[in-house]
Amino acid sequence: MNLPTLTSADFFPMLPAIIMVVGACILLLSEVFLSAHSSRGYQAVLTAITAVIAGVVALKMVFEPAREVFLGFGALDPFSSFLTFVVCVALALATLTSAGFLRKRGAERGEFYALMLFATAGMSLLAISNELITLFVNLEVLSISTYALTSFLRRGTRPSEAGFKYFILGAFSSAVLLYGAALLYGATGTTHLTGMVLPLANAVRTNPALVYTGALLVAAGFAFKVAAVPFHMWTPDVYEGAPTPVTALMSAGVKAAAFAALVRVFVTVGPGLDPQLPLTLFSTLALLTMVAGNLLAIPQRNVKRMLAYSSIAHAGYLLLGVAALFATAPGEAFSLLGSTSLGTTATPQAVARAEALRGILFYLLAYTVTAVGAFGVVSVLERREDEERGTAWDLERFSGLAQRRPGWAFAMAAFMLSLAGIPPTVGFLGKLLIFRSAVDAGLIGLTIIAVLSSAAGVYYYLRVVVYMYMRPVPEGAHALERNWMTEFALVVSTVAVVVLGIAPGPVTEWLVQAGHLLGR
Amino acid sequence: MLSLLIFFPLVGVLVMYLLPKRVGRTVATVTSGVELALAGVMALLIDWSRGGVLQLEERVAWVPTLGASYHVAVDGLSVPLILLTALLTFLSLLYSGVEEERPPTFHAMFLVMETALIGLFSTQDLLLFYLFWEASLVPMYFIIGVWGHADRVKAALKFFLFTRLGGLALLLAILGLYLGVEPHTFDIPTLVRAQPYAGTSTAAALILLCFLIAFGIKLPVVPLHTWLPDAHTDAPTEGSVLLAGVLLKMGGYGLVRLALPTVGDMLAEWALVLAILAVVSGLYGAAVAMAQEDLKRLVAYSSVNHMAYVLLAVAVAAMLGAGSEARQAALTGAMYQLVAHGLTTGALFFLVGMIARRAGTREISKLSGLWGAVPVLGTVLAVVMFASLGLPGLAHFAAEVQIVLGALAVWWWAAAGMLLAVLLTTAMFVWTLQRVLMGRSDGLKGLKDLSAREGVTAAALLVLLVVLGIFPGPLAKLIEGATEQVRAAVLTRR
Repeated sequence: MNLPTLTSADFFPMLPAIIMVVGACILLLSEVFLSAHSSRGYQAVLTAITAVIAGVVALKMVFEPAREVFLGFGALDPFSSFLTFVVCVALALATLTSAGFLRKRGAERGEFYALMLFATAGMSLLAISNELITLFVNLEVLSISTYALTSFLRRGTRPSEAGFKYFILGAFSSAVLLYGAALLYGATGTTHLTGMVLPLANAVRTNPALVYTGALLVAAGFAFKVAAVPFHMWTPDVYEGAPTPVTALMSAGVKAAAFAALVRVFVTVGPGLDPQLPLTLFSTLALLTMVAGNLLAIPQRNVKRMLAYSSIAHAGYLLLGVAALFATAPGEAFSLLGSTSLGTTATPQAVARAEALRGILFYLLAYTVTAVGAFGVVSVLERREDEERGTAWDLERFSGLAQRRPGWAFAMAAFMLSLAGIPPTVGFLGKLLIFRSAVDAGLIGLTIIAVLSSAAGVYYYLRVVVYMYMRPVPEGAHALERNWMTEFALVVSTVAVVVLGIAPGPVTEWLVQAGHLLGR
Repeated sequence: MLSLLIFFPLVGVLVMYLLPKRVGRTVATVTSGVELALAGVMALLIDWSRGGVLQLEERVAWVPTLGASYHVAVDGLSVPLILLTALLTFLSLLYSGVEEERPPTFHAMFLVMETALIGLFSTQDLLLFYLFWEASLVPMYFIIGVWGHADRVKAALKFFLFTRLGGLALLLAILGLYLGVEPHTFDIPTLVRAQPYAGTSTAAALILLCFLIAFGIKLPVVPLHTWLPDAHTDAPTEGSVLLAGVLLKMGGYGLVRLALPTVGDMLAEWALVLAILAVVSGLYGAAVAMAQEDLKRLVAYSSVNHMAYVLLAVAVAAMLGAGSEARQAALTGAMYQLVAHGLTTGALFFLVGMIARRAGTREISKLSGLWGAVPVLGTVLAVVMFASLGLPGLAHFAAEVQIVLGALAVWWWAAAGMLLAVLLTTAMFVWTLQRVLMGRSDGLKGLKDLSAREGVTAAALLVLLVVLGIFPGPLAKLIEGATEQVRAAVLTRR
């Protein structure tokens, strides 16, 4: 029997994930030598440094040519490398806000950071998965870590409720995804995405019901992970109940990784399907998600819940970008098959598709720096005592913040404007890129709805600004503790939000590369 | 030079925050004074006889992968509005010394807005245009929401939501233009030369619709005007001055700079509807102003009336082919109207602010005999109101006459409708003057007349109103050079 040979080149795309796993192991090991009262300040710093190193490595990999690795189980391409960079940014920023958060609650433990690292390693691996079983395993690595993180603070009912809810619904959605994958395997006889295209095209003719059920179930599984309407029900409760830095990592990182997998699966096997199917599917999801996310966020007085609904709305804009991927590619079904290198004939559709991919990636980066920053501000304002009563995240918390902590208020205002997509913030450039590819793809009606719903979104983002700048400081407001790590994360996010909005500079260079998905 | 002009106010903001709080206002005022001087230097540097040529051009790559560049240049359309912005910002900051003490942030907002507005009027890149368009919105939102009058938070939110909706429509229109040319570019001169949407098509109609929503909200045109009275009334005096004096001009400028040269043929197709809307706005603005009890609201509604002329002029210009005298008259009139309205309405809001601060009320019924109590203030108010109703020899007359003459060449009824609106405005202002200035001044005894600071503010605007009214020549010539270019850009019709 011939054993397949693996070379170090096969492990290369896993490098960021390996770095993060090593970091996690160091953290877990070092925890053994600490007593309950030892200082654990180094843990957040170590995690952040690990994340930064992994991120830098991922950025270097953006310039690697796209190729299949691990006998086709993995795909190294600029798209996945840039996405790994995005999740590393999310991890670094979320970690920096964790230290102060956990210390206030006396819950600073190495496991927390290790779980964050494992989850992010899972995200990175999910982005390079090119085979359905691998994809499923990595999705579970990521999910199980986040289930544990969600209920990490065991005091009170909310974290357990959130963790349990997330676990039950998450397991259900994983099963749905797996079932869909099994159906696709049944229809095609392979689980390799690239190898699936030709058999799929035959199966569509012979047994369409099987193929479409499988594709729909896989899409539903992903829709759950990215919190697309109508699979979003878990989001507000879980986001509210989870520790705020974990919520930040979930809303930015988990969503980015799930989008990466979704894009890879459907773009790769897309040519084997009727192109109308993914287009209709993602257009419908985008429409529902944008409208519902924005409308449901409007009545929220709880800022953390509002950000949860806002994260749903942003998933909607991203789905608009995903829909644009498919609208641009009718008819090119088999032309690019088998060409796994860059620089093949660039049809207009391929160019447009690369633009749409860049739009999605930039939007994910923009959303990451903004949302993690916003959750960071939320986390410094909350107190454990108020959590059970549910007032920890009330809008009132933000009253007069501009007078008490002008820096925090300015940062939060920048994040809110960025989430609302107002220039000169990064959120605007993200929306611009997404809307551009949507208009280019001919999705005019959907883009107009996106524009209208994001106009509605301005209302609830601005309300936070109103409270910070136009309300007096409430009487008996508790003191606001400062924490240098959190404030450092806020400064980094704010600078990123403004600078990337005015001069995206080098990021656009990486993005030019990152528009290349393996084989496309 | 232009970059210095655009970003100098931001330097002032930086200095303000480095120095102690109490000198904040002084630093801001000095900054805006220097900025006004810089704008003056800019006006001297350009060639006034070649208003149609882009001058003082600067261009550097910005987001090359997107086809967006930092491209700024001025022509006859932008120079008057830049000067107006610099002047009104300076006067607002100068005037703010008579109002209650305000934190440095308040004055910083004006400087930030000045950068955004001057940037908007001088950019030749659509993405940059959009950037500045939205950037001007945020400071005004804070000015109204934090330092406004009674119902400020609601008014600020309404203002923000309306203009944001318009901004998003503008973004769609810009994307449409951007995708219309190969290779994709945001460069305005390139787009105008390429004419991707000449003739009538669904795409052109969609783009025009988006432009009309964006600029119609800003201008504002009935029925998109409902944010205006609240925002103007509840903004602090300095905020109202800039809001009415400059921010409304963004709508008119956008129509002439972007809509007319790019989707001119489609605009001609819809011109009739726009003309009807313009006449309705003109009549409605004047009539509703007459019914107002609050002096500030009255001035606010009179803006709806004045801005209607601009829309009418654009509709007329779209209808008339190249080379027509009437077209030229209408467009030049429109730009002139923007400047004249900036000056008169700016002055009116200053004066209303001065009156309200003295009398403690803006209700017309409680303000009688102003002339007897404060003769200088009363006289200035009378002159400015006469200017606003279009008295010959003052700035508005030159503008409105040209627009009505232009309209006469296309639709006689539109000209007639506008004349009726002039009549209504005249009646409205004269009646207001009668109620406010004449009569017994029992309630207003012992009020102080204009202070030196207020006097300078009012006098500067008054002098300009008279000068522009009597010698419209040089400015009109500069604008004409530019409007000829706009005309040349519309190529293919009929």
